Amino acid sequence: MGEYLKTIAIAGAITLIGVVGAHAEDILLGTHVPLTGKLARVGTGMHEGIAVAVDIFNRDNKGRYTVKLITINDETNPAKAVAAVEKMSSQGVVALTGGYGSNIIGPASEAANKAGLVYITSGGVAPGLTQRGHKGFFRINNTQGYSRAMMGLLKDMKVKKVSILYNTKEATSDLAKTVDKDLSGQGIDVVLHAFDGGTSDFKPLINKVKLRDKSDAIGMVAYENDYVAILKAGKVLKPNVKAVVGVWSLATSKMNGEFHDLVQTVYGTSMLPYPAEFTSPEAKDFAETYKKLHGKEPDYLGQFGYVQTKLLLDAILRARKAGTLSTGGLAQEVRKTDSDTLIGQVKFNENGDNPLFSHRMGQHQGEKVVLVWPENAATGDKQFPSTPWSE
Amino acid sequence: MFELTLQALYSGLLTGTYYALVALGLALVFGTMKIINLAHGELVLLAAYVAYTAESQWSLNPLAAIPFAMVVVSVVAIAVYLLIDRIKKDRELNSLILTFGIGIILTNFVLLVWSADIRSTTTPWFQQAVVFGDLLFSSRSEILFFLISVALVGATWWWLSQTWYGRATRAVSSDRKAAMLMGVNPRQTEILSFVVASILATVAGIAIFTGQVIEPSLGHALTVKAFIITVLAGMGSIPGVLLGAILIGVVEALTVTYFSSSLQELTGMVLFLVVLLLRPQGLFGFGVRRG
Repeated sequence: MGEYLKTIAIAGAITLIGVVGAHAEDILLGTHVPLTGKLARVGTGMHEGIAVAVDIFNRDNKGRYTVKLITINDETNPAKAVAAVEKMSSQGVVALTGGYGSNIIGPASEAANKAGLVYITSGGVAPGLTQRGHKGFFRINNTQGYSRAMMGLLKDMKVKKVSILYNTKEATSDLAKTVDKDLSGQGIDVVLHAFDGGTSDFKPLINKVKLRDKSDAIGMVAYENDYVAILKAGKVLKPNVKAVVGVWSLATSKMNGEFHDLVQTVYGTSMLPYPAEFTSPEAKDFAETYKKLHGKEPDYLGQFGYVQTKLLLDAILRARKAGTLSTGGLAQEVRKTDSDTLIGQVKFNENGDNPLFSHRMGQHQGEKVVLVWPENAATGDKQFPSTPWSE
Repeated sequence: MFELTLQALYSGLLTGTYYALVALGLALVFGTMKIINLAHGELVLLAAYVAYTAESQWSLNPLAAIPFAMVVVSVVAIAVYLLIDRIKKDRELNSLILTFGIGIILTNFVLLVWSADIRSTTTPWFQQAVVFGDLLFSSRSEILFFLISVALVGATWWWLSQTWYGRATRAVSSDRKAAMLMGVNPRQTEILSFVVASILATVAGIAIFTGQVIEPSLGHALTVKAFIITVLAGMGSIPGVLLGAILIGVVEALTVTYFSSSLQELTGMVLFLVVLLLRPQGLFGFGVRRG
């Protein structure tokens, strides 16, 4: 009986060792995103994309590496984001992906820099973020990419004067000023109108555009709730403009579905048309995994969250194979990135910015979002001149 | 410039009455019970989301959703009152902390149930323009809730001054023990105040849903705005709420027209501070008499 028990114990031990030996190596990855608070919607969207990248990585590296994602809700609060980074650092994460809002990403990535962690994001476009000399900070999109798209479209329309309404938040202010500079450089007259994020009635502002500015187009550098309130005011006052052009979170399937009449013929930045057409194998894989995990069609937030995390995971894998993951080699590996992604080419400069980033412009046309700029990515012609309040 | 000024005054008037609608419930509870319900904005928001569900799920007109929203918001308001009623010490101060916490819980409840997406009515009727003399522009929703707001301010004032329950509420506010000796049940009266406040919050919620955009984080901003108007008006002054709210609305609209939209919140706050400095009892409140 004693021998029998001994045999079982040894067999059990061997099995256990075997199981442990065959177990994939765990890699801890951290993310802080706003899942509640003002930026809850965009934070949740980005997190969905991050989850897709992790799921695909774990599937492709089954039995070898398993990425375990630690998520902390920063509640749209910079102090809580810093605390989240410090906590995840103490838990042993190898890098961080995520963050939304330049004012949150700034201090959070500062904490990551102090902890020697790589931080990659697409949630903050303020130019200052990549001018701090952080060796481990990377960003796949930037103000210039959005400005380029907005300016390109307005230039194509041959408008002479544009009124730009912008939210006073850091990212929107920076982008509005960049667009102003770029458009003025092209000889287009620009009138800037800053507004507070708490503004709910835009009629006095739209009335200024209508009676005083008399512009050819309205530009909106703002967020979803601002767009809806501006367009509602526009529908009441009907300013005589030829086009209404916005940036992020506007040319989306969600806005088309929820505010269908309000957004008709309005332009916004969009990487994909809607209904989305995923042609490359990677894009198809992303879309299918996204639908499997979240039960809905992917949107641009998920796309950006996916791309930043995928690039980071690719670099982690390279650093792990080179044996430099634990010796500070990850930042170097991320810097070597030169990849054709779902948001276009990504290649980081010495500041961690992606100078190749350029957005596309889509226009709400009926049930669809049609890509109308640049010409080589267009999926249809723009309806111009036209506004949601055009007869 | 004349057209701009006229539209600014008109927009300010309409925005002010909408602010009044949001502040009325808070002012009622504050004026009668000396309790600042910091979850009031979240109650307004809850009504707005009930209207959203009624419209998106059952294809109901947001106005038809008012009875459902009233029931939901009243039940939550009574629950808030019952929790406040358990406070035995420093009720005025501790109720602040309690209602602030309830506000956070309600915000997160809204977030869980309705997600963080922005919502607004899809019924075109509310968004259609109403134009007077090609000079004054507004939406149908704004006109409708302007009229409702004025009527509700009048009705609340009448209820407080002319009805037995209204007078009982004021009596409990003045001296709880003396009111009890006069046969008034203070608990019942206070519950009634909360129910009336929740009815006002419901109408405010529907107004926001039809005229503006709702999102889970809006509740706190609504509470702050309502509190500013309540203090500006003067404690216990119901008509003062309407006038104070219109004053803020007009000042904000003129700021946008003549200066910058980014300064409108600031001017509202400056006005609030100036009034507090010059008339601590508020624009229409009465000073404390000392015998």
